[in-house]
Amino acid sequence: MLKDLGTPARSAIRSAGTPLRSAGLPREIRRRRTVLVLVILACFTLIVLDARRSTGSPVDPLRQAAAGVFGPLESTASSARQPVDNLRDRFAEMDRLKAENEKLKSENDKLHQDLNTSDYARNRAAELDGLLKIAPSYTMTPARVIGIGSAQSFNHTVTIDTGTADGVHVDMTVLNGNGLVGRVVRTTQATATVLLIGDRNSTVGGRLNATMALGFVSGRGEVGGTLDYKLVDLKAQPKVGDRIVTWGSSGNAPYVPGVPIGVVTSVTANQGALGTTATVKPFVDPTRIDTVGVVTGPPARTPRSQIKPTTTAGKGN
Amino acid sequence: MIALLRIGLAALFLMVAVTVQTSVLSNIAVAGVTCDLVLIVVIALALSRGPEWGAIAGFSGGLLLDVVPPADHTAGRWALALAIAGYVAGLIRRETSAGPVGPLIVAATVVLGAALSLFIYCATGSLLHDPSVVWSEFGVRLGIAAGYDVVGAIVVIPLVMWVMGRVMAARERRRVLP
Repeated sequence: MLKDLGTPARSAIRSAGTPLRSAGLPREIRRRRTVLVLVILACFTLIVLDARRSTGSPVDPLRQAAAGVFGPLESTASSARQPVDNLRDRFAEMDRLKAENEKLKSENDKLHQDLNTSDYARNRAAELDGLLKIAPSYTMTPARVIGIGSAQSFNHTVTIDTGTADGVHVDMTVLNGNGLVGRVVRTTQATATVLLIGDRNSTVGGRLNATMALGFVSGRGEVGGTLDYKLVDLKAQPKVGDRIVTWGSSGNAPYVPGVPIGVVTSVTANQGALGTTATVKPFVDPTRIDTVGVVTGPPARTPRSQIKPTTTAGKGN
Repeated sequence: MIALLRIGLAALFLMVAVTVQTSVLSNIAVAGVTCDLVLIVVIALALSRGPEWGAIAGFSGGLLLDVVPPADHTAGRWALALAIAGYVAGLIRRETSAGPVGPLIVAATVVLGAALSLFIYCATGSLLHDPSVVWSEFGVRLGIAAGYDVVGAIVVIPLVMWVMGRVMAARERRRVLP
């Protein structure tokens, strides 16, 4: 091994010193550079082929094949981590979670009471019901997160273990018990890729619960999933603590109405322009999503149960 | 035969690395940044086999990262980044080692590879006007990634290099015998 390691270095030094160099590089260096150039050319070809997304990428069959092979692998690998997770929970996080749970329960009870007792809030909720004619308790396909994009990729995407075979298609809403998770952007037979709302490519129509004002929630690309909220009406002022729900897209794709998105944590005036931008903390912690639901069916019930804090707490975890 | 075995082993390493990186390591991410297991395997292959292997292994591993879900960016970006990182890692091994590669040089190579690959990945993203690339976050993520990668490399690189070394030793034996 040592001999093999040493020889090329010596030969490279020797060749660098001889006049042979002008006649041409040693065969090995030439070959290695050819390989590099070929590989770089292959990469650029791929990028150029895949960059024009409008016409359907020729790389898609490759993605399908890769998902076909790696979907089951990822699924297996994430089940293999389950014991590790359980152990960690048992020894380190149990107490913390218990305390947090207690705190959240009492907080939710209080919020629930507030919501029910305040006429203002009740009226708004009724108004919301009226406005959202479609009554959404959605038919959902449960799914488990089996792969998470890393921050190095700057993409906030996850893989889930349901695909077209389970009736999951592109542009379906993905949510969990706490609120909106994202939407499906790619599907294969057995897996689907979900673009989280925290991604910078994601924009969701959001309605302020308190004033019914419409606006757009866009991702900041931060790890915590923090969102920006801009109102359509420049004069409207969001307040800290306001909740935001989706106002839904036509045909319920990609977003169904009435799903909680997050709560306003701060409001700043836009620099050099009218209007304000609110910072929104999402109800769903993007680093802790595990079981999610993909909305695959039409709504059937009032959206209020989706918005009330007790219900969201009951469904969570 | 031995060459095939070696290629098969490298492919196996890369596939395991991609699976583990997307499904297992992402659950123990530090501030969202996971350990670049694929990069580490590519560097290990480059350090044991040289720049050609580094470039080809980097291309294959990067391509897997580009197409295996949950990837949603333009395919070829990680492939380009890891191919160049692998090639450079192979060059470092060629230039510095008349003897075996020292741990410090391996660590430096991993840091260099992480910086190079992340930079190329972000640069191609900027060229393609991908709105998800945030240069202000680049430094922080690179710092965490480099540190995490060195930790991962301590485990993975000796393992990969040992296995590749075993296969090479078998070939050497075959060559000596006749």
